Amino acid sequence: MTLRTAALAAGVLGVLLLIAGLIADAQRPPRDVLATADVDTPVVVYSPAMVEFAAQSRLGVTGEGDIVALTARPADADAWLAEHEATEVTGLPQWETLSTTAYEAVEPEPTASPSASPSASASASEEPSPSPSPSGDDEAAEDAEPVDILAETSADHWREQWNGVDRVAVSAADVPVGETLIIASRDGSPLTQTDMRLSREVNDGWITPLIWWGAGLTLVGLIALIFRFIDTRPVQAKLEARRASRGADADETSEPGSRRARRENGELLPDASLDEEPASPSSATSTESAKSTDSAASAETPPSPERSPEDEGGRS
Amino acid sequence: MNARFVAGVTGASALLLLTGCVAEVPAPVTENPELPLKAAVLEPQSDRIAEETHAELEAADSEDDAELLTDRVGGPAVTIRDAQYTLEDDGDGPSPDDLPQATQAVYTVGAEGWPRTMAAVTEPAGEDSTPVVMMWVQESIDDDYQLRQWSHMIPGAAIPAMNGTTEGAQQLTVSAEGLQMTPEEAIDNYLELLREGTDSEFEETFAPDSYRDQLFAARETLTDAASEADGEYEDSIEGDLDNTFVMSTAEGGALVFTPLTVESSFSVDDGIVEISDAQQSLVDGDIEEVAVYDYLDTLVMYIPAADSEDQPAVVAADHNLISISAG
Repeated sequence: MTLRTAALAAGVLGVLLLIAGLIADAQRPPRDVLATADVDTPVVVYSPAMVEFAAQSRLGVTGEGDIVALTARPADADAWLAEHEATEVTGLPQWETLSTTAYEAVEPEPTASPSASPSASASASEEPSPSPSPSGDDEAAEDAEPVDILAETSADHWREQWNGVDRVAVSAADVPVGETLIIASRDGSPLTQTDMRLSREVNDGWITPLIWWGAGLTLVGLIALIFRFIDTRPVQAKLEARRASRGADADETSEPGSRRARRENGELLPDASLDEEPASPSSATSTESAKSTDSAASAETPPSPERSPEDEGGRS
Repeated sequence: MNARFVAGVTGASALLLLTGCVAEVPAPVTENPELPLKAAVLEPQSDRIAEETHAELEAADSEDDAELLTDRVGGPAVTIRDAQYTLEDDGDGPSPDDLPQATQAVYTVGAEGWPRTMAAVTEPAGEDSTPVVMMWVQESIDDDYQLRQWSHMIPGAAIPAMNGTTEGAQQLTVSAEGLQMTPEEAIDNYLELLREGTDSEFEETFAPDSYRDQLFAARETLTDAASEADGEYEDSIEGDLDNTFVMSTAEGGALVFTPLTVESSFSVDDGIVEISDAQQSLVDGDIEEVAVYDYLDTLVMYIPAADSEDQPAVVAADHNLISISAG
């Protein structure tokens, strides 16, 4: 496999990685998710366990008019809820969905007094329409004082309270541990939706590196592809010719005084050996004379690791 | 075709990877976490209850109208206040009891059922006064806490240590065990002591208190006065268990809040019982030879735990004249 082929293969892989990275980036799941559930009762309940489950999440309820969120001890909440129609949020089966169920009161208090709802109808009947008509009852109902399901009973058991119009949202962290969260529409109209805004962990740290690797490999492949369609032989030939001419020029000239120049001038160069005792200058001269042919030939071969005494003497 | 296949596989792989990117939905919490503050009423709530109670009292006091005592004041407290308004209306009568808003301590129960109680010990209204012990009752989740009785502390008496808001006091019944005597027995025995006087077998059972001392002293004085007029003095004292409420103390004892009715009959022979000017407004009918005084007294009694060396004691009591009739 040539370099060009390998680069082309890398380019194909890079394109695939780039496509995968870009698709993943486009479809990257959001970290913040809103789980919702539709409700149709005037009261929504989050048990202490559900509030703890929500942890740092924000719990919201949507409806019309004044909406109030309250907390109470579970026993007190049960007693209050025993007289009200309520929906309990029970879990999070999927990231975008809350599960709910109709709230079932644990046990109604035997001493519980009748709810105050009769008083509302009584006040309506006490204020008859000034112009009697067949629809007098309806008009009387319209003249009735607004219902406040929270004012119908004591408020002494409520511990915390948040108010909102059309929507109220409470951070689960603000709900005291162990207390039940009750969210109610003040006028008793049905609420429409409850939601939990969550932050979840998304392991998407690989997407950006994937895109960069894909882009890099694609670039390599692209370069290889470009060179496949461009004839570089003239350039290569030109480069080789230039290199050859530079070599020839180097053969013609040698630096004056260098070993090469001395060899070219026929001078004998000393040959050193470490195996023998250092020789006297006279013997060295005779050795040089005897080995002048060999030293000229050894200039073309790599230096031997063995070093002669003459070599050491030459360096001294 | 091949390129489409590769692109499809690539895209599907990316989506598959993404599916694995998202963490699993957290496991649900199946059990409710423990409630750190189990008391039925915490400080903000008890403050609100006390404020609304005093606001209602102030409104009624300003008009001397007990009918304005509706939501936050009820039971014996309305009867007592109504009589005090009547006395004040006359001009010569005393002012209604001063119930200070500043409190030294508030005691609440950790009960999950009803009725529930809340008690508070106020600061003294003045130098010549002792702190007032006030007691509220909530009958059901629908009802507000209502002030049912108040009593001034007996000089020298002390309220035993009570549980805080972490647990709250227990709401006991009048038949609660584990005490030196059940609250019902304690009330019966104390009533017997009040009826019989210092010769009662229960004289030593209960710690000395100024309430019964004053009652005995008044009985002696009125008996002597009636004798001098060839008349007679009698009194009858009854408890009211239906309006009795019991809270546990921190040491296993009990604090009993109970009203008593005292009916004193004073008669003279061949004469007319003279009623003081300050009490004229409470007179019902024409008083002649017999005058019957009706009192509604409020007591707070401490019953120690069975293994305690303390004595049962009345720690707060008020003697409230309600009406005077011809009998």
